[in-house]
Amino acid sequence: MNKANQDQPPSDIEDSQTSSDSSDGSSKYAGLFRRPETGAFMGMALVFIVFGFFGYEKNFLSVIGSSTWVNHASTIGIIAIPIGFLMIAGELDISVGAVLPASAMTLGVTSGYYDLPIWIGITLTLCIAAAIGWINGMIVTRTQVPSLIVTLATLFAVSGLTLSLAILTTNTTQVALNAPGWAKALFGGRYLGGFRSSVFWWIGLTACFIFILHYSKWGNWIFALGGDKESARNAGIPTNKLKIALFMLVAVCTALAGICQAIQFNSAQSPTNFTLIFNTIIAVVVGGVLLTGGFGSVMGIFFGTLTLGIVQQGINFTNIDRNLSSLIIGVMLLIAVLMNDTFRALATSWSTQKKKNGGDI
Amino acid sequence: MNIKKTLATMAATTFIATGAWAQDIAVIGGSINDGFWNILKKGVEDAGLMVEANGGSVNYLLVPNYDNFGPDLVTLIEQAVAQGVDGIAIPVWVPESQMPALLAAREKGIVITLYNAGADKMEELGALNYFGSDEYVAGVAGGKYLAEKGAMKILCHIQIPGAINLESRCQGVVDGAKEAGSETYVVRMPANLDQDMVGTSEALKAELIGDDSIDGIITLAAWASDAAANAIEQLGANDRVMLGTFDLSSSVLSRIESGKQTMGIDQQPYYQGFLSTATLFAHLKFGTKIVTEPVLTGPAIVDASNIESALAGVALGAR
Repeated sequence: MNKANQDQPPSDIEDSQTSSDSSDGSSKYAGLFRRPETGAFMGMALVFIVFGFFGYEKNFLSVIGSSTWVNHASTIGIIAIPIGFLMIAGELDISVGAVLPASAMTLGVTSGYYDLPIWIGITLTLCIAAAIGWINGMIVTRTQVPSLIVTLATLFAVSGLTLSLAILTTNTTQVALNAPGWAKALFGGRYLGGFRSSVFWWIGLTACFIFILHYSKWGNWIFALGGDKESARNAGIPTNKLKIALFMLVAVCTALAGICQAIQFNSAQSPTNFTLIFNTIIAVVVGGVLLTGGFGSVMGIFFGTLTLGIVQQGINFTNIDRNLSSLIIGVMLLIAVLMNDTFRALATSWSTQKKKNGGDI
Repeated sequence: MNIKKTLATMAATTFIATGAWAQDIAVIGGSINDGFWNILKKGVEDAGLMVEANGGSVNYLLVPNYDNFGPDLVTLIEQAVAQGVDGIAIPVWVPESQMPALLAAREKGIVITLYNAGADKMEELGALNYFGSDEYVAGVAGGKYLAEKGAMKILCHIQIPGAINLESRCQGVVDGAKEAGSETYVVRMPANLDQDMVGTSEALKAELIGDDSIDGIITLAAWASDAAANAIEQLGANDRVMLGTFDLSSSVLSRIESGKQTMGIDQQPYYQGFLSTATLFAHLKFGTKIVTEPVLTGPAIVDASNIESALAGVALGAR
């Protein structure tokens, strides 16, 4: 059922705002309303207005001010979309918290400490990440262990391995990395008044992922996997291969984020990034993906990530006592999700009203 | 050379100071979930009263946690710059990441003062001053102290493996103990046990059971010391194991008072927050400058001999 929403071409998101004005709901606006990302967009718009107002005095809206929260969102966003794919397909991957530092350290040790050419370091980093993703996928598909537990195990295994290999090879847990000019420009540059390279990677990847999820057969397969695994397999979808590929995609995208981070900040550290696990899952859920799988959209996750970035960084542009930061972050996220749910409920009831538009499965 | 640099910075500052009608400063620091930073925050807030009385403002920006340290710090520096502050007080923990951002901030005429970490970066940044102690030196002092009190094998507990400041503290303990002829055993616990009192306590208990030649423990945070004290208590090993810790809290001091803990290494975070905020603002507003640099706020060892005065400070949230 939900899949029906995905087949419409994406139209200008700005229109969704005007749609709230037209109470009679012409079929064009109804379509916009039903789109899963509309709720996520509304949540984002809400927190943006709140922090735009309270943070105005401290330049929250200026170019350099906005670059801080967009930059923060970009690292999470690169990882959150493939995580969203996995969640739509009914799985979870929390090993990203270890894969990110592991990737940064791999690059730091090979191209920083041992001074190998950067392209060798990058290739090796991506390969190692792909291998971790493959291991995750193999264990999940070959055993009955839930992916949460499998990736929990790899989270610890990879972080332990990162620490011990770092100590073994470099005798420290933090390595410096000086990338050559082209790599710096590609992965760790700053453009348009402060936006990091990772922001452009994020936007580019979002475009690719929109195509994959909403316009290719793989997208159909992913939704089918999260909807009903048995029927998906009976329909001839290579479910195991698809899942392994998704786990590998998550790990490789995480490695890309790690590479951007290491080159941008000229250093890599080994401590496990537990916050990243929460942040990616929060971004995906705020973006309207159901925890039970089968429903979601790439633009929704994109807006969800921006919401998270605005809320987490926006707090610093206000005069609120810092002891209350976490409380405000929690409340704002809850409001954003509630807003999203309200819109989804609205969307679902609307689509049942207009069955002829939404009943093609 | 140094004077020239300072003069240039001062000239730039005066220009900005006369251009704007208030001096706004940003203090960038660690997570307040960590007791140490709450004490430091009190120092910043107390100095903030003086700043506000003189028409300025203080924005205290902090990293949410230590999971993604370098990038998070750079984001905060950029935020401070975006907010148009005139001065930044900040520790340098990850120089490779932070230095480019701080140098860019200085280019814009923002005055930088350092605290807690990064004394060696003062000159490169043309920083106003440094307020803090040296992790390694403090570690040496702690290791030496326990070894001289008779500990032969000291366990040094790292709660966030890989955090460079913690690693250098334990490296200091290793070298300090060695100087006094004792051995040190560095234990890096999985990072998920960070701030986990029960988990850490049980893990330390296991270490003490596993090796009964351990007769000293040094923890690197006050909460970890509570966990270690609990482990020692459970085993009834108070006579066998001496306990020392970095950083103070009321529970650490009450144990020192009752003889259940040997010592605590204080770097006086209140001073780090208070002095860096107050002197940075005073420099921007009045053009004053402390001549002594760097200003060391530690290590100061608190043990049975000087516990009384320390207890009074803890009750007021400043130690």
